[in-house]
Amino acid sequence: MSLQRLILDLHRFWADQGCYLAPTYDLEVGAGTMTPDTFFRVLGPRPWRTAYVQPARRPTDGRYGENPNRVQKHHQYQVILKPSPADIQNVYLDSLRACGIDLRDHDLRFDEDDWESPTIGAWGVGWQVMLDGLEVSQFTYFQQAGGLEVSPIPVEITYGLERLEMFIEGKDDIYDLQWSDDVTYRDLRLDEERQFSDYNFNRATVKTLRLQFAALEKEAAMLIDQGLPLPAYDQCLKCSHAFNLLDARGAISVTERVKMIAQIRTLVSRVARLFTAPAPSGEGAA
Amino acid sequence: MEFLLEINVEEMPLAHVRTALADLSERLRRDLAAARIPCRDLRTFSTTRRLILTAFLAPGQDDRDELVTGPPKSAAFAADGTPTRAALGFARSKGVDVSRLQIVTTEKGEYVGVRRTVKGRPAADLLAEAIPSIITSLSFPKMMRWGTGTLRFSRPIRGLLCLLGGAVVPFSLDGLVSGSRTTGHKLHAPDGIEVGSFEDYRAKLRERLVVIDAAERKAAILDRIAGLTGPRAAELYPDPELLDELVNDIESPFVVMGSFPEEFLRLPLEVLSTAMREGQKLFSVVREGKQLPLFLGVADVTGDPKGFIRAGNERVLKARLADARFFWEQDLKAGFQKRAPLLEEVVFQEKLGSYADKAGRLQKIAAYLRGKVGGCAAAKEMNLAAALCKVDLVTDMVREFPSLQGTMGGLYARAEGLPETVARAVAEHYLPVTVDDSSPESPEGAVLSLADKLDSIVGVVGLGIQTTGSSDPFGLRRNAQGVCKIILDRKISLSFSRFVEKAVSAYGDKIKRPKSEIVDQLQEFFAGRLRYLLEREGLRYDLINAALGAGLDDMYGAAQRARALDALKNGPQFEPLILMAKRVNNILSGQTAPAVDPDRFVEKAERELYATFTIIRDNVAPMIAGGDFVQAQKIVFRLHPALNAFFDKVMVMTEEMKLRRNRLALLQAIRKTLLQIADYSQVVVEGEKPAK
Repeated sequence: MSLQRLILDLHRFWADQGCYLAPTYDLEVGAGTMTPDTFFRVLGPRPWRTAYVQPARRPTDGRYGENPNRVQKHHQYQVILKPSPADIQNVYLDSLRACGIDLRDHDLRFDEDDWESPTIGAWGVGWQVMLDGLEVSQFTYFQQAGGLEVSPIPVEITYGLERLEMFIEGKDDIYDLQWSDDVTYRDLRLDEERQFSDYNFNRATVKTLRLQFAALEKEAAMLIDQGLPLPAYDQCLKCSHAFNLLDARGAISVTERVKMIAQIRTLVSRVARLFTAPAPSGEGAA
Repeated sequence: MEFLLEINVEEMPLAHVRTALADLSERLRRDLAAARIPCRDLRTFSTTRRLILTAFLAPGQDDRDELVTGPPKSAAFAADGTPTRAALGFARSKGVDVSRLQIVTTEKGEYVGVRRTVKGRPAADLLAEAIPSIITSLSFPKMMRWGTGTLRFSRPIRGLLCLLGGAVVPFSLDGLVSGSRTTGHKLHAPDGIEVGSFEDYRAKLRERLVVIDAAERKAAILDRIAGLTGPRAAELYPDPELLDELVNDIESPFVVMGSFPEEFLRLPLEVLSTAMREGQKLFSVVREGKQLPLFLGVADVTGDPKGFIRAGNERVLKARLADARFFWEQDLKAGFQKRAPLLEEVVFQEKLGSYADKAGRLQKIAAYLRGKVGGCAAAKEMNLAAALCKVDLVTDMVREFPSLQGTMGGLYARAEGLPETVARAVAEHYLPVTVDDSSPESPEGAVLSLADKLDSIVGVVGLGIQTTGSSDPFGLRRNAQGVCKIILDRKISLSFSRFVEKAVSAYGDKIKRPKSEIVDQLQEFFAGRLRYLLEREGLRYDLINAALGAGLDDMYGAAQRARALDALKNGPQFEPLILMAKRVNNILSGQTAPAVDPDRFVEKAERELYATFTIIRDNVAPMIAGGDFVQAQKIVFRLHPALNAFFDKVMVMTEEMKLRRNRLALLQAIRKTLLQIADYSQVVVEGEKPAK
């Protein structure tokens, strides 16, 4: 039992379902949903199936390595199936079985939990999947992304890898998890959590972050004007991370928060519109 | 014939299930009635994964005789009685021989017609058309699409079972085809089953671990809970909403009991129960009102032989409680009073400033209200409570569990050794959250709640933000209802317009709209809320109108007037007085009159009416002032014989203007007194058309 075993099981399972296994995206994101393999694939008419591991950074969740459950970086296993298949709930249950969980011994429920991300102008309808009281996945039928109605409807399944592995290993402390047979989560991640908690909460230079945010916003707008939605979207992601760091530094007032989120959302909506607009060169949108 | 419909869905929220079942039944009943298919014993069942409806229907429509009229007789037959081409054509179009035509007399004259029998259609055919359109027409607060389909529903529909008399009612909907199959429990018996009848369906599902009757699942859960708590002399900490939700969430009812480390018992009960309920949907267990280190959880299984479900929930709960304890300790360390200045950072409304501004206004409004609400603590404490009631918004605990707002403020105030009245007022100032909630128990809590709610309403209305339709994004309706409810519950007499003016003044120059405009708009708005609360008490709408018509500024007084009308509405004197009051009104309409001159009465009946009236007026004045409207009305009833005699014997609209004006003046004075009790002209009596 180990996290990498879990990842391999999920990779095999979803590859067999016809997913392309995307490489982890190389920018800081708050959730797997935000990476281009989800954001751009859910837009437009073309069917897609993808699965990938994505580290998710949430600076405010940092606890200096002292909390057994909360970390400022965790790992999500992200699956997108577009259009959503009719038997998707059963396929999902099979994926848990494929990870070695004998569902006959457990209480598994789909609890109402509609999802929305104001930053990327997206919302969906769905559930959090509770396994013996533990939220192990988020299951969402996307309805909108980048402020646009999506069609056909994609389903997104996001597994919280650490939580699922804690469930499988029966561990109470995230740092006790096995990453591989002989390497623990503690070995790999404890120092990182300590250092980044300190950075996120105490060291990050507010002034620099603000300058970055402003510069990135400008860059994104420029790239949109140049008709380059993909690099423009990267700038939006960077904006979002700068925002999250400012938030962790306690540097954002409530009004400012609303304003900054709206700024990012506006850019992302423009990216989405640009991306889905019929290309004049004749090359259709994805 | 037995009808059975199951809509198989992915997990639907309880509120959606409820509206879906109600709408399904109503629309099916309506469609069947329109199609003239008798229906009886309609019943619905549900789980979060299925909407079920069964009923007994007639096998089809009865055959029906129909008379079809054609051309006028004059055009259909020549003078000699031979059929014209019009008659021949009509007969042909109806498929009958011309000899079958008959003469029909209608309002417009004589026509030819033909009587024929229309075969009734089988119910199955009608259902095959009706069901898909009913399902498509169901609507939910939030709707979704899925896959490549176009149908919008609460959650994806995955199967349709539809039988009439054991045979499939065939239809298709968004790519799904109806059939006679369903599936059992999604984890424990997911295979398909073939179903022949409702009893067969119910029994086969039961074998496959699905109990379709919510009442039965609830009973089973409560039974198991009693079995677990009884031996420990403990009880479930009641939470009916959570229970209903869990009954919906599962198909196979089972309950597990687990424990958590006793060290967490140092956390307040409110925090413990919230941490258990939110996220994990667990119940707290108490003994004599004291929390035990135990929880109860409902599971969608038949048992937990290996103890995995208990252990899993225990592990998650322990982590959550550890978090809650962390927040509790952090908050205590950071202090409560000390953090009041942080409210400056929290925006109440962009144009209306921060929560610190709001706290300042609440202090002013509370100082005003303190005198109006009986039994309030010293001004100093009231002031402190107003200053602190929003501080818990900046605590870690409320950020984690927003539903604990208010509650946490009270707990932290108490932990800091602040006076109990302050802690209590802070804790209670969000109450009542819904109409079914109780009002604050303490007078200080009531004052703060009134101030907070009116301040929010006045802010939104003062900015001129128009809210329309059924949505209530700023919680105006909920807040106004809360204000009305507190005023009624605590029997508070105060001038609403002055209360509003105080709240507007507290905003200073942030609100530019004229006070009078805001007062007018709110008076109307609150009248609606007050009307709603009184209707909930079961009062007749016309009595409410009559009571409110006599004045709204004192809302408690208006409510008392309505209740007095209700208390006396069945007495023998009620209707005669109403009719008399209406007569007074009618005569006075459009008339003006000076003051009464007692020396100018000439008839006995008018002198007597004046004498009776002055006595009654002087008698009821203190009753009205004291709010005893029942007694006041009983006295006013005594006006009836004298008024009756007056109308019988005295000519009001006499040609002698001086007499006429004096008589009108008398009636005017009477109306004025009556109007202090109710606007009787708005009461609807038998034989009148209701006018809302």
